[in-house]
Amino acid sequence: MTEIDSNLLDAVLKVGGDPADLAFWQGCAEGRFLVHRCEICNRNYWPASRCVEHGDRAMKWVTASGEATLHTYTVMHRSYIPAMKDRVPYIIGVVELAEGPFYHTNIIGCERDALKVGMALKVTMEPHQSGLVLPMFAPLT
Amino acid sequence: MGVTQQGIKLGIEARELRTQAVDLALKDAGLERDAIDGYIRAHVEREDLRYMGLSPNFSVSMMTGGATPAFSLINAVALIEAGQAEMVACVYGEAHSNRAARGGQPIGAYGYGYPMLYGLVGAAATHAFHARRHMHLYGTTSEHLGAVAVTQRDYAVSRPGTLGYNQPITLQMHQESPMIADPFRRLDCTRDTDGGVALLVCKAERAAQLHSKPIYILGGGCGHNIVNWHNGSVFDFHDNIEPAKKRAFQQAGMSLDDIHMAQLYDPFTISPLMQLEAFGFVAKGQGGPFYGEGGARRDGRIPTNTGGGQLSAYYTTGFTGVIEAVTQLRGQAGPGQLEKASTALVSGHGMNAGVQNTWAHATLILGNEP
Repeated sequence: MTEIDSNLLDAVLKVGGDPADLAFWQGCAEGRFLVHRCEICNRNYWPASRCVEHGDRAMKWVTASGEATLHTYTVMHRSYIPAMKDRVPYIIGVVELAEGPFYHTNIIGCERDALKVGMALKVTMEPHQSGLVLPMFAPLT
Repeated sequence: MGVTQQGIKLGIEARELRTQAVDLALKDAGLERDAIDGYIRAHVEREDLRYMGLSPNFSVSMMTGGATPAFSLINAVALIEAGQAEMVACVYGEAHSNRAARGGQPIGAYGYGYPMLYGLVGAAATHAFHARRHMHLYGTTSEHLGAVAVTQRDYAVSRPGTLGYNQPITLQMHQESPMIADPFRRLDCTRDTDGGVALLVCKAERAAQLHSKPIYILGGGCGHNIVNWHNGSVFDFHDNIEPAKKRAFQQAGMSLDDIHMAQLYDPFTISPLMQLEAFGFVAKGQGGPFYGEGGARRDGRIPTNTGGGQLSAYYTTGFTGVIEAVTQLRGQAGPGQLEKASTALVSGHGMNAGVQNTWAHATLILGNEP
C-alpha cells in the first residue's frame, strides 16, 4: 500500500479495527468489496490473513464479485449498543461470499419472514457514522 | 473443592469470592494454606497471592474463555507431572453484578470486532448463528431448544443454591419468553452470576491422605474450532470436539458407554444439544428430538447438566460442570444424586476470538476411582 488516508486509518482504529485491513476499507469507500487472495493457490480470505498453506508469500487484495449467499443469521431483538437500540429488531447475517470467505453483515431490504438460509444476496455500500463505508447485503433480484 | 455462594447481586467482591473459595477448598481437603505451591487463576486479573496469604512457586492467569476451567485442570496435571508443584489451586471468582453496578460494560469484552459495526454484540447472537444453522440443516425447532431449558430447569428445581431452585418452568413458558436474538428466547439464555470456586489438584497418592473424597482426572483433551473456520464449516460445528474427545478417552482408556453423566458447557440451549451429538451420544442432527424424548434426563441415555447447568443453576464460566461432576461423583448431590455416578464427561467452551466466531474447547473425564 502506497498512500494511506489518515482519516480512514483514524476511523478504522477508532472502531477497534486492524490496520492490516485498510485496503479493504479503502475499497469499500470506492464501492468495491475486496477479498485477500493467495495468488499461489487462489484461496480467498477475509479479513487480512495469511494463507493456511503459503503464508504471506503471495497475498493480495482483489476485487470480489459482491455476490454471496446467506449462510446463517440472527434477528437482534435486544441491543447493548446505544446507537442500535432504536433499530431493533434488525438482522445480522453471516454471508458466504461467492469467492469463499464468510462475512458478518446486516441484511437489508428483506422482511424477516422472507429470510432463508441459502438465499442469493448482493452487496450494497452504506455510509456509517464511524466514517467508514459498510458493505451490507440485500436480496439479489 | 471449595464452592462459595453463587447467585446474583451477592455484594461480594470478586477477589473476596476467590479467597473464600480457596479457604473452603483447603478446609475441604484438610490442608493449611502453605500446602498450595501452584496457583492458576482462571481468567485474567492481577495476582491474588498477597491478599490470600498464599506462597506458591508460581501464579499464572489463564484465559481461554469458558474452556479455561477444564484447561486449567489439564495444566495443573501437567505442572505437577513436570515437577513444578505438588498442590495446584485452580481458582475462579467473579462478581459480575458488582461490575454492572459500576455501570458500563467494556464494549470490547463481548464485542466481536468488525461485526459490532453491524450491531453484533453479545454471545447470544454468535451462538444464534450455530442454532440457526442447526435448524436449517436438521429441522431443529424452538421447542427442541425449549426441551433443553426445561430439562435443565427440572434438575435445578430440587437443587438448593441454584437460580432455578423451586422455580419450575414449562415448555409453554419457554415459548412465551421474549425473543432476544432469534432463535433464542430469554429462557434459552444464561445470565451472569457472582461466585467463587477453587479446585485443588495433586497426585493420587497425596489425595488419598486428605480429608475429602478425591476425584480423579482420568483424561483430558483440547480442540479449537478455528480449523473449521479455515475449511468453511465453522457454523456447523459448535466446537471442534473430535481431537479433544479422542485424546481424553484414550488417556482414560474408556469409551462413551463407560460415561455415567455429561456436564457440558451451556451458555445457550443449543450448546449441550450440539455437544451431545459431537461426542456421539446421539446421531448428528438428532439432539433436538433426543432432548424432547428425555434422553438427557436422569433416567435417559445420558443424564446431562444434572445440577441445572449454567442455564438454571449459576454461571461460573465453565466451573459449573466441574463442580456438578465432583458433587455427583462424591455422592453429595442430595435428592438430585444419580444412581450410577462413577464417571463424568465435562466440557468447557469459549473465547471467541473475533470475526471468525470460533471457540476453544476442553474435555475432561473425571471418575471416583483411579
